[in-house]
Amino acid sequence: MNFKEIAKRCETGPLTESKDFLMKAVAANAMKLTKEYDVSWDGKTFVNTDDEMADRCFQAGKELFTRTGIYSMNSSRVIEFSAEEVDEALRFTPTEVAMGAGKDRVSAHHRQVEDPRKPFVFCGPFNANVHEDMFVRLNEAFGREKIVDCLFFPGYLNEIDGQLVRPTSALATRMAILYGEWSREAVRRAGRPDMPIAGHAVMAPGEIACTNEEWGLRSTDPRAIVLISELQVDDVSMTRLAYYQAYGCPIYMAFTPLIGGYGGNPAGTAVVAVASFIASIMLGGEIVHIGPQHMNYKQQTNQHSLFLASLANQAVARNSNIIATTSHTTSGRPGSAQYAYEFSALALAAVTSGSNVSGPRPAEPLGFNNVSPLMGRLFAEVAHAAAGMTREEAAPIVEALYEKYKDKMDLENAPKGQPFEELYDLATLEPTPEHQAVYDQVKEELIGLGVPLH
Amino acid sequence: MADAERIYEAMKKSIETYDSEAAVAAAEEAVAAGLDLLEAVEKGFANPIRELGESFHRMEIFLPELTMGADAMKAGVEVLEKALDEKGGKIEKKAVVVIGTVEGDIHDIGKSVVATLLHANGYEVHDLGIDLPATRIIEAAESHGADVIALSALLSTTMLYQRDVVELLRNKGLKDKYYVLVGGAPVTQAWADEIGADGYAHDAFEAVQVLDEAVEGRAK
Repeated sequence: MNFKEIAKRCETGPLTESKDFLMKAVAANAMKLTKEYDVSWDGKTFVNTDDEMADRCFQAGKELFTRTGIYSMNSSRVIEFSAEEVDEALRFTPTEVAMGAGKDRVSAHHRQVEDPRKPFVFCGPFNANVHEDMFVRLNEAFGREKIVDCLFFPGYLNEIDGQLVRPTSALATRMAILYGEWSREAVRRAGRPDMPIAGHAVMAPGEIACTNEEWGLRSTDPRAIVLISELQVDDVSMTRLAYYQAYGCPIYMAFTPLIGGYGGNPAGTAVVAVASFIASIMLGGEIVHIGPQHMNYKQQTNQHSLFLASLANQAVARNSNIIATTSHTTSGRPGSAQYAYEFSALALAAVTSGSNVSGPRPAEPLGFNNVSPLMGRLFAEVAHAAAGMTREEAAPIVEALYEKYKDKMDLENAPKGQPFEELYDLATLEPTPEHQAVYDQVKEELIGLGVPLH
Repeated sequence: MADAERIYEAMKKSIETYDSEAAVAAAEEAVAAGLDLLEAVEKGFANPIRELGESFHRMEIFLPELTMGADAMKAGVEVLEKALDEKGGKIEKKAVVVIGTVEGDIHDIGKSVVATLLHANGYEVHDLGIDLPATRIIEAAESHGADVIALSALLSTTMLYQRDVVELLRNKGLKDKYYVLVGGAPVTQAWADEIGADGYAHDAFEAVQVLDEAVEGRAK
């Protein structure tokens, strides 16, 4: 469906209150369909292995979406879609999306459950607060990691010359230009000048300001839009979408289903997640990112989120061509072993369920530059190692890793980690021996648990 | 007395079954029976909604149920408040809270949960909505006679607008008049300290605890 038609429906769809949309359309139908299609969670499983339930979850989510549509928050109207329009969009969903250019051109693919093909790795600061002095340096270090396919969200520049930047100010537009310039400079320095950079300058004017084929973000770079939970869009997102569509960027569409929210438990939220995957496709998303949120946790490696990610990804992997990727947000912070235990658990669950990977990042970074390219390498290595593993092989490892961090999921008790400048030698841009030792130790542990990291 | 217990039980059940009509009916029955209406609020509605909030925190129920339970309570309490008002009485509130999501941020769910739980725990809550400029928040606080300004932000960028509210309060000489509570996914205690907010809560339950402690402190 073309963008013009969707934009038109934002202005002409049926009027309704936001609360009515969420309660009467989303929550009531999600509860009903979850029960009707017998989608459930037993309270124990970490990684779903029930293919029939994954298929039922997809059918329930698809039916939910045809009942709800998407809510336009600014116009208070529902963007409705017919079942035929949904079927057609799913039929023509691209199974492969190319990004970057020249020798740095790479492609993300739709993956099947237990697919032996390696997942696409989106990795970088993932919207961490990055100080201007360190922005190029730490993104260069991510770019040097050859296993990373796309530099992912190079970081928020929310301060310049000691001045905090209001996101709608003129200074924010200046920061967006620097964001584009410095991101490109970082991958050039890393020897990958045409490496794709998934950009996210947050506000619509900034998105336009950071775009430049020579020095900034390009038409070959995927650009991100985030749906509002659940199944809602706003004018800012639609404005960005209009721009990206016209400019020709691959569209990276993210959504954040809320466990304990309008979908209820992890099973009901998986149904909402499937509806959100479809909503993303209807809006023109080509790579669709699931980033589960939770009422009680800011991170995504709790048991509910692990199960949700496995079930929802399997549902779309088995029943559509959607190119899915899963967000990895942890309690432990870069520099700690727990950070690696957590992203490894989720990567094993997600990759064996048919997803690509995006991340990792701490849910609550400590100050600026709380990132580690070395841990990004390990994240990518685990994701690659998971390709070809069965869910039955992955599940006990996920559970064993969960045992290591389950008592430290609250952010106060989770390891504090360290900033990039303490984890790396800034002269050589190599990890410090201490940080390298954490990587080596966790890698040995993962091999010992059965992750084929060779 | 037996009649009172029966009516309280009906009120409680209306919350547990998320039934606004039943809540109104039970409240009307309490008024007609001449019950102590302040006691009716506490036993019939406040205790059950707090229990519902705890069930929500334990994930035994979810957001739709909490919302419907809170709606039922609101409908029933309105009946009791009107009757009390006619008699010249009123339900004492712990404090008056204005709550909203700051400018540039349209995330609503977390803020709404905080508003619901504060209301359930005896606060008068005015939910101002989302994408709110600092001036509008402060104007609303002034017009509602608020004690607390609660500010939500879900984005690392938009949390800066929490600082703007605090700075504008200082600029207007109003900072000491309000207790400013901040929260949201990227918000931390360190950020609250940095901008001069009075309190920080990492979730809705903690928001209630933090404000309860602040109110108790004020009472001493």
